Amino acid sequence: MGSLRDDQSTPRDVQRTGGPSGSSNAKVTRRTIFRFAAQLAAGLLMAGREDGSTLLPQSSSSEVRRMVRFPEKRELILLTDRPPQLETPLHYFRQDFTPNEAFFVRWHVAGIPTHVDTGFFRLQVDGHVQRSLSLSLDDLRRHFEPVSVIAIAQCSGNSRSLFEPRVAGGQWRHGAMGNALWTGVRLRDLLEAAGIRAGAIDVSFDGLDEPPLASIPDVVKSLAVDRAREPDVMVAYEMNGEPLPILNGFPLRLVMPGWYATYWVKALSRITVLDRPFDGFWVAKAYRIPNNPEGAETPDHLATDTVPINRFTVRSIFVRPEPAEQVAMGRSYEVEGVAFDYGAGIRQVEVSLDNGVHWMDARLDPELGKYSFRRWRYPWSPRARGPHRLMVRATNNDGAGQPTHHWNRSGFMRRVIEDVQVNVV
Amino acid sequence: MRSILTLFLIVALGAATGCNARGSVAMRAPEMDMTLSHKPSPAAHPSSPVHSISLPHDEAFAPPGPGRDAFVTACVVCHSPRYITSQPPFSRTVWKGIVQKMIDTYGAHITTTQAAEIVGYLAYTNGAHLIGGEGE
Repeated sequence: MGSLRDDQSTPRDVQRTGGPSGSSNAKVTRRTIFRFAAQLAAGLLMAGREDGSTLLPQSSSSEVRRMVRFPEKRELILLTDRPPQLETPLHYFRQDFTPNEAFFVRWHVAGIPTHVDTGFFRLQVDGHVQRSLSLSLDDLRRHFEPVSVIAIAQCSGNSRSLFEPRVAGGQWRHGAMGNALWTGVRLRDLLEAAGIRAGAIDVSFDGLDEPPLASIPDVVKSLAVDRAREPDVMVAYEMNGEPLPILNGFPLRLVMPGWYATYWVKALSRITVLDRPFDGFWVAKAYRIPNNPEGAETPDHLATDTVPINRFTVRSIFVRPEPAEQVAMGRSYEVEGVAFDYGAGIRQVEVSLDNGVHWMDARLDPELGKYSFRRWRYPWSPRARGPHRLMVRATNNDGAGQPTHHWNRSGFMRRVIEDVQVNVV
Repeated sequence: MRSILTLFLIVALGAATGCNARGSVAMRAPEMDMTLSHKPSPAAHPSSPVHSISLPHDEAFAPPGPGRDAFVTACVVCHSPRYITSQPPFSRTVWKGIVQKMIDTYGAHITTTQAAEIVGYLAYTNGAHLIGGEGE
């Protein structure tokens, strides 16, 4: 265990010990344990590399992450507590469906709904329509055809902590996403029931969350009316066959398969058809990407022309082994991961064991749906001890692949070829 | 090795939660006004299923440093200190931009004097110098 003597007074150590309410004994215990955990993690990461360099932990010590348990949730990785941002541990992606209790959580403003009376709850559909609707949850279930889709909800900033240079924002690794079976009604059916009037341009979506200050823009998102009318856009009342956890948007969530979760408005309570372009902050100013096919820019040349973020990039990640895992020499090891895209479907996943010189096909699991995780496996029998770097890349049915480098100031839509460093022992 | 780490994190969590059992923080009034019309009276739904959670109080501690008072006064009203402590170290310039965004974009009630103190505090407690980078 680390000595307590050398870590008494730096600000960083104090912050790691948590809140001001603990007894001094608790503080010592926690500090000691966190320090030990941090040293363990650092030790694992600092194993020598083949080129003789030392692999430093990418994160500073302040970023040692801890597990927390929020209501209706299992232990998740704590990014922030108020408003909550909780990350799904990587091992959950060894399953086709991410359990509701392990599904990541991300809210923008502190006034999040913690109490919903389903007897009172109504979904409003209003604005530039022939008749405004006020629908109970029963109305949705009884009067509209139920539909289901398997789709990945992925935060725009998933994997942001891996961007170099680092960018501000939620410091996610790969766990700001999850794959689920969503059941609900087509947005199109709701809009038809209300009757969109001629001249409609955008449709906006508001949830029950409220900013803590009146000056903070309410979190409202929008879609062009033609996009909103496409048949794959849903208002979901179930997730994996159960009501949504409150932290994932109970009782209703907009589901936009293949598009980033910023559009998947949680605790959806109001849908408004507009006869003018939506100009709200969360579309007009936030969640924007450089207006080029790669969504890329450089720190020295930030894009001046931006557009709202939209569909996913092609991605593939390692789920197993996990970073810094020890793999037994000479034994067969099943490398596994997930790949996905915006809905064209994954055609090929390739793994490299030699820094990208040679690429071998991974075996794809059966396709569950074009918006689902496509799980893949690769049998590996390591023949040399020491550090290894594995790489993975995917190609979709449109022929789109993955680049080696990609950056933007917001840490959005990560798309690069991923790697994982492991130690063969 | 990983399982040992996990074990220690779990132990650490147990220790941490031991002093967080102070009850939940009410984030907003429990009654939510979802709609303006057709609201049934409570009596009409004697068995309305109410879904409710209590968020744990698990805020990060704002580390000591010059300007901490200004930070706690102006910033923590809207978000937890963990919005700072969970970030990588940034240069003073980056922190200054972030504080300015809070003022310009989100209307944070921060005076010019406070803003300078807060930028100093963020650069002191989570500045690039901590990872050997440029302080400015």
